[in-house]
Formats: sequence, C-alpha cells, structure tokens
Amino acid sequence: MKLRTIARPAALSIMLAGSAWAEAHMAEMSPQDLLPLAQEEGTVTVYSFTSRIGKVEAAFEEAYPGIDLQGFDISSTEQIARLKAEAQAGVVNADVIYISDTPVVLTELLETGIIEPYVPPRVADRVPDEFKSPLLAQRLSTKVLMYNEEANPDGAPVSNLWELTTDEWTGRVVMVDPLQRGDYLDLMTEIVLQSDVMAEAYQAEFGQAIDLGDAANAGEKFIMDLFANDLILVSSTDDVNAAVGKLGQQNPPVGFTSYSDRRDNEEEGWALQVANDVQPAPGIIFPAIVALAKDANNPAAARLVIDFLMGDESETGGPGLAPFYVAGDYVTRTDIPPHPDAVPLDDFTAWRIQPAETATIRAEVGDLVLTLQ
Amino acid sequence: MADTAISGQGRRVRFRQGTLLKVLVLALLIALIVLPLLRTVLFTLQPDVIKAWSDVLTGRLSTNLFYKPLGNTLIIGAVVSTGCVLIGGFLAWLVVMTNVPFRKTIAVGATLPFMIPSFAAALAWGTLFRNDRVGGQVGFLQGSGLDVPDWLAWGMVPTLIVLTLHYFSLAFTIIAAALATVNSDLVEAAQIAGAKGRRILMGIILPVTTPALVAAGSLCFAGAVSNFATPALLGLPVRMQTLSTRLFGMIEVGQVGRGYVIGILLVLISGVFLWAGNRIVSGRRSYATITGKGGRAKRFDLRAARWPLCAVAVTILLASTIVPVVVLIASSFAPSSADLFSNWTTHYWLGQSNPAFAQGTPGIVHNQDIVRALLVTLGLGVAVAFTGMFVGLLASYTTARYREGAMSAAITQISFLPLLVPGIAFGAAYIAYLGAPIGPLPALYGTFALLVIAGTAYLLPFAVQTGRAVIQQVGGELEESARLTGAGFARRLAAITVPLAIRGLAAGGILIFVKIVRDLSLVVLLFTPTMPVLSVVAYRYASEGFGQFANAITVVILLLSIAASLLANRLQTKSQPWLKN
Repeated sequence: MKLRTIARPAALSIMLAGSAWAEAHMAEMSPQDLLPLAQEEGTVTVYSFTSRIGKVEAAFEEAYPGIDLQGFDISSTEQIARLKAEAQAGVVNADVIYISDTPVVLTELLETGIIEPYVPPRVADRVPDEFKSPLLAQRLSTKVLMYNEEANPDGAPVSNLWELTTDEWTGRVVMVDPLQRGDYLDLMTEIVLQSDVMAEAYQAEFGQAIDLGDAANAGEKFIMDLFANDLILVSSTDDVNAAVGKLGQQNPPVGFTSYSDRRDNEEEGWALQVANDVQPAPGIIFPAIVALAKDANNPAAARLVIDFLMGDESETGGPGLAPFYVAGDYVTRTDIPPHPDAVPLDDFTAWRIQPAETATIRAEVGDLVLTLQ
Repeated sequence: MADTAISGQGRRVRFRQGTLLKVLVLALLIALIVLPLLRTVLFTLQPDVIKAWSDVLTGRLSTNLFYKPLGNTLIIGAVVSTGCVLIGGFLAWLVVMTNVPFRKTIAVGATLPFMIPSFAAALAWGTLFRNDRVGGQVGFLQGSGLDVPDWLAWGMVPTLIVLTLHYFSLAFTIIAAALATVNSDLVEAAQIAGAKGRRILMGIILPVTTPALVAAGSLCFAGAVSNFATPALLGLPVRMQTLSTRLFGMIEVGQVGRGYVIGILLVLISGVFLWAGNRIVSGRRSYATITGKGGRAKRFDLRAARWPLCAVAVTILLASTIVPVVVLIASSFAPSSADLFSNWTTHYWLGQSNPAFAQGTPGIVHNQDIVRALLVTLGLGVAVAFTGMFVGLLASYTTARYREGAMSAAITQISFLPLLVPGIAFGAAYIAYLGAPIGPLPALYGTFALLVIAGTAYLLPFAVQTGRAVIQQVGGELEESARLTGAGFARRLAAITVPLAIRGLAAGGILIFVKIVRDLSLVVLLFTPTMPVLSVVAYRYASEGFGQFANAITVVILLLSIAASLLANRLQTKSQPWLKN
C-alpha cells in the first residue's frame, strides 16, 4: 500500500505530461470519439449530491458496457469539504462533480482550480449561456415549502411564510439543518437577501409594520422567529419528505424540501405537493452543476458521463436524463419540453438565487443560524 | 551514567542498546501521537485561523458553538459515570462477594455490553422508542399504540440511558478486579468481631476499593464525553449538541479551524478528568491480583434477597445486551420498525435492487459499497491488530527491560496519551497531520495507510497495556541467559519473548481488532467514499433514514465483535480471577 501511494505521484506526472495534449482534444470530442478512450480507462467516479446517481449508474453502465461508474451520494456541503481536503492532499478521487451549493462552488472549487468546466459540444448550442458559464448547469433544482395534499385537499394550508412563525405551526415545520446542507443555507441566505419583500409580507400577514427587535432585517427576523417556533431539524431531505408527505396523517407538518421529490410519492407512499402560492415565495430555485475534477484520473469517461447526464437526442432526453425529467426539476436544455405535471417555470414563484450575491453574506447567515440552535 | 557506559564492555553494550531502542521507540511514539496533536494546535494558531479561538470562546457564537454543547457534554459525563459506577459496582459486588445465583453468567454478561458498539445501542433505541416528531418511520412502541413522549425518544434522557448501559461494563471490569483483591483477612477479622454486612461494606470494602471506583468513574467519564454516535443519532432532532457532535459538524461543513479548536478543548476536558482521577488513585499503582497469602473470604449470604437481586442483575443485562441485539436483528428483517415482528423479508440482506425499497438500494450481500466496506474493515482490523501489538510490544518491552531514565518515563506517558484524546478529536488531528504532504512524503488522505496509522496510534494505550502484562509474565532471567549466550535483540524477542507470550499477544491483538472494527468516532472523519468502513457506512445509512440497512450492517459488526471477543476471553481467562471459586 505504502509503495503504491509513494509511486503514484511519480507515475501520475509522467502520464499527465502526455495527457495534456490529449485532454485539449477531448474538449471537442463527440461521445462516439470519447467512448473508446473511456473504455480504456474502464472506470469513472462520480460525486453526486443526489441519491438518483444510483439510477444514473445503472443506465450509464447499460448504455456504455465496459465502463464501471462508481457513484457516491455525498451532500454538496460534504463534497466541498472533501474535495478541498483531497486537493490539499494532492489526491484526486473523483472524476465528475455533480453538485449544488453554487455560491461556494464558484469561490472554493472553481476559482481555486479544484474543478473545471466542461460543456459537451453535442448539446452546447441547446443550453442558454447563463447555464453554461461559469459552469454547466444540468437542471434547476429547488428547496421550497411542501405540504401534504392528502390531508389538505383544498390546497396549501399556508398562504404566507410568516404563518410558520405563529402558534399554529409550533413544532410543525421541518427542514434539514442549514449547517449540514448548503442548499438550506442558501435558502436562509435568500430570505435575508429578500428582506424587503419579507417585510411587506409581514405587513400583509399581520396588518402592522414589522418590529425587528434584535434582528438586523426582516429576513433575519423571520429566521429567528422560525427557529424560536420549535422548528424541527433533521439530517436529510428524505426525512423531511417522510415527515411531511407520509400518507394517513391527521395533522401533518409542512417542510422545506425539493419540489422534485414529489416524483417519489407513489413509490414511497407520500402525498407531497408544492405550496406555490405562498407569499412572498415558497423558497428558492438554483442550478445543479456538473463539472470535471481538475486532473481527473479518467478524463474521457468523465466527459462521457457529463454528456450522458445532459440527455440523448430522444424527445425527453433518454435514460441519462430520465431520473431528472420529473415534475419539479427544470432541465436546462432548451429542446427538452417542460414536464407536463409541473408548475411551468414561468409560473413558479420561487426566488432564483444569484450565486455571487449569495456568497457575500452566506457565512454571516450561517453564523446567525448557529446562534439559534 | 556516562561513567558506567565506559567502564565495562558488557555494560556498555547494554547501555547502548537500551538507549538506541529507547530513542527509536520514543521517536516512533512522537511521530504517531505527539506530532498530530501538536499539528492541530499549530493549525489553529495560524494568522487566518486564530480567530476561531475567539469565535468559540468569547464571540456571539460561543454560546451555541461551545458553552451549550459543553454543558450537555458535562451532564452526560457526570450522569453516565455516576450511573456506571453504581451499576457496575453493584454487579461486581454481586459477582465477587455474594452468593447470588448464576454468578458466572452474570459475570460474563456484564462484560458483553462493551463489546456492542455504542451506535448499535443508539440505533436499537431509535428502533424501539422513535416517535413521530421527525415523521417517517416510527419505532416499535409508538407503532404498538403507545404515545412515546419527545424526552424519551430524543435528546438527553435516551443518550444518558444508552451510554450508561454501554459503559457500565467498563466500570464492572475495573471494580470486579479490585474487589477480587480485597484481602480476606480484613473481612474475616471484621466478621469475627461481629460486624454486619453493611458495616463491612462501608468500613472495609468501600475504602479499599475507592481507587478502583474513581478509576472506573473517570474512565467512564472520558468515554462518555467523547462519545459521538449516540448523541449524533439521538440528539439532532431536538437540536441537542455535544462537543463531539459540534466538532464533527464543523469539520463536515468545512469550518475546520473552529472544529479543531473545539477538538482541542474536548481533549483538555477529558484530560483534566482522567488526570484528576489518576491523582486520587496515584497512591495505588500496583494492580497485583494474586498475592501469596489470604484466601477467598466466605461469600456474603444474601439470604432472601438472593433471587430478587439476581432478577435485578439479569434485568440490567437483558436491557443492555439481549434487547438491543434482538431489536437490531429483528429490524434488519422488518420493513417497518413500527411492526418489528411481522412481514419479515430478507430483502435488506439478500435482495437485489428494487425501487420499492429504500430508493433501490440492494440488500447488503449484493451491495458493492457494503461488501467493499466489509473487506476494508476486516483488513483494517487485522492490520491494526498487528501493527498495534508490534508497537505495543516494542514500547512495553523497552520500558520493562530498561526501566530507568527520563526517556522510559516519557515513553510510558506518551503511550497512554491517546486515552485522553477522544476518537473524533484524534481523527481530526490526523487529518491535519497527514492530510497534506509532509516534505517528500505523500499525503495519506483517503488511503488505507492513514486508517491503519491512526488506528494504531489511537489504540496504543491498550496495546501497551497488554504488551506490558505479557512481558512481565516472561521472566527477565530467560532473556538474560539468552543474552549471555550472545543472542541479539531481535533474536531474543523472536525466540523467547514472543513464543512465550503468544497467547497473551493474540488476545491483545483480538481486542484491538474488536475495538477498531466497531469504532465510529475515530474513523468518521477519516472516512472517504473510496475507502469506506462498515461503521461509517452504517451511520450514514442511519442518518439517511435507511434504518434497516444500518441495522443489518450493525448486526454484521456485532457478530464480528462478539465472536472475536469470546475468542479473546478464552485465550485470557486467567486475567479474570473473580470468576474462580
């Protein structure tokens, strides 16, 4: 073992010298050209922030026999910590990074050269510029307020986010600990960034101007009140889904989770539905990024995976996109029709996050959340 | 000393050799134990990190970052160590000093809970008591129609109960060993003088065993404050944080500086308590259990209380060993923990991937990740057992044969240092230490080697302790005569010490194997997806809400631990004198 770890960097640098030329070419290669190179590599490692990587793995290995896709379901927050530690150690474990948490990804992974962008030439002309640069977004994902539609057949039981801070919802709002999952910290950050509309929504709900107390702004005030109202923190979105969505509940809680998890309603016995009409917005919508690891061990297979994840030429993108062609995920490719069961993107009222802006106050909001726990 | 070195040929050789060995061992221990800890401290003193100290200790975040978790940690330490001493002491008294029925069974049973990983007990608790606070699957009791209140399902109370039921067997072992040494002359003298049982207990037995009680209490305290799995699994839904869960959370989200500061403070706290315990016991260094005179005193007759006390003991043992094991096994077959004993399926063990179960996760036999984790874990256990016993033997041999001098003292002190360091803090230190390349040496992040080195260092106190006991069994005169015939150090070790001590060494190696295989706190930070170990995989499944898989993996770990422990027990029955009549 020891020998191997010592020998590896030497071998690697020799390989790299030769591969720099090859890599420059790979950026332009079609999947057909990549395939033989990828098959020679034989394996590819993907860090994925969604458990759907399991389905991608099966589909990819069927489409491209002879390449073993090793998919690891690791939260974005943890991916960032691990990728940084790995980079510091000079170890490259992953080939493909499939991640959300864009605000942090931009500053801590892209600017530091841990990951690099790749847009498969095959689909480049069918993805709007805003989703190609600085990194390729495969789809837009969400963290929004969801409710149990079985227990609430007439629609969402909440019409204004501020209701969640009232007695009626004490101990009945569920979300993942924002210090453990970056998407949720982005949600909290967006609420602070949207303080002006949060203040208006307060006025609309309670008929009086907001009294900030210790809070610096309406967004912070909301977060403080929400935590004070016995907000329940769990460790994964599936826990939120089960708590909110499970069938047969008399008085189910509401919770912030992914709109697209509604796809599992039938399989899991849930009744999740999005509260799209809640004021001022149900939550956030943000890009899910695919990128290459810098100096990936399997550069051809890595590009092939990203190409696969962008979907094939069939109408709804084929098996690579199938796990993501669901109501609640908004695929960035312009030629793929929107999912028929979802609220159309234009009618979807969630806040679109601005990664650069989020990054400026994200750590501060994280510290605020820390003081509330 | 310098004079002796020059004065005679034989002496000079001996002095030189001892010194060489000492320097070697000391350097090894410094590299394994001192440097990682030092590296962590230095990391937090860097200009852009040093603010972490004020964040943790004085800033507006300090209450939640440090003081509240500290309060929880201290409550856990105090209550668990008290509970452990009471329960462990009670059982030890029953087994060693009374005529309670099924003495031997109780004695064996009382050592078992420590073999069960504490996260297994926490998972079992969740399977039984989980209520609907966080939704999803409820536990068995809630599923049977009982309304389990939050305080019993989550947070402090379950953490205290689970940890007490885990650590009391540590207290039992220490106290039972001490009780077995109570000189029967004292007890008989008191009996002749007409003292009653209570009087003998308070007047003789308690004072004589106080050092053991203190030692047991402080070890349980150190164990409880550094435990990670139990508060992590039972505390989060009610936002209960301890220092160890905070440390994990901070490092996990990349706030490494704050994490390390919390880790350093955690080391200091458990260090202070162990040191204080040591001070109190320091008058009593000898743990000799077999003396030349004084027979076993007549056992205290419990009379009518025999069976009731036996029932109490059996209840404790059932609750701490049998119930969790049964619950874990049952729940690895039951699709719903609310309905533990019906609709059993072998899917979680043998099933192929099926979208209806846990997002298509296949049963553990077909699950590549788990099979790989099992192999890594077994490899890790064996490797650490070997390297651990090797270093342990080397260190204890050096200090036993070349006792005098500051270097020997340093070797002894350093080799016991990891006892003060909670596993999770040790893991953090090793990431700081070997996570980046040192000079020409490559970084070991994510390698098997890192796990082995960290595991070896972490378990060194146990290895050295076993090594020392073994070395002392092998008389120095055998070696002496070998030396006179010209045998070198390696030769003597290989031809005399090791063969004579192989039984003890094997037993020690097996115990180290068990400790590393069931360990979560050390490896939880060293874990990388490409180098998985079973306990972390189980922990991750549990926090993803896939309880059955977590439980099935835990059953595998349990079987490994228990089988290995029983084997070790057989090899070293001699070290449990209280079992003899």
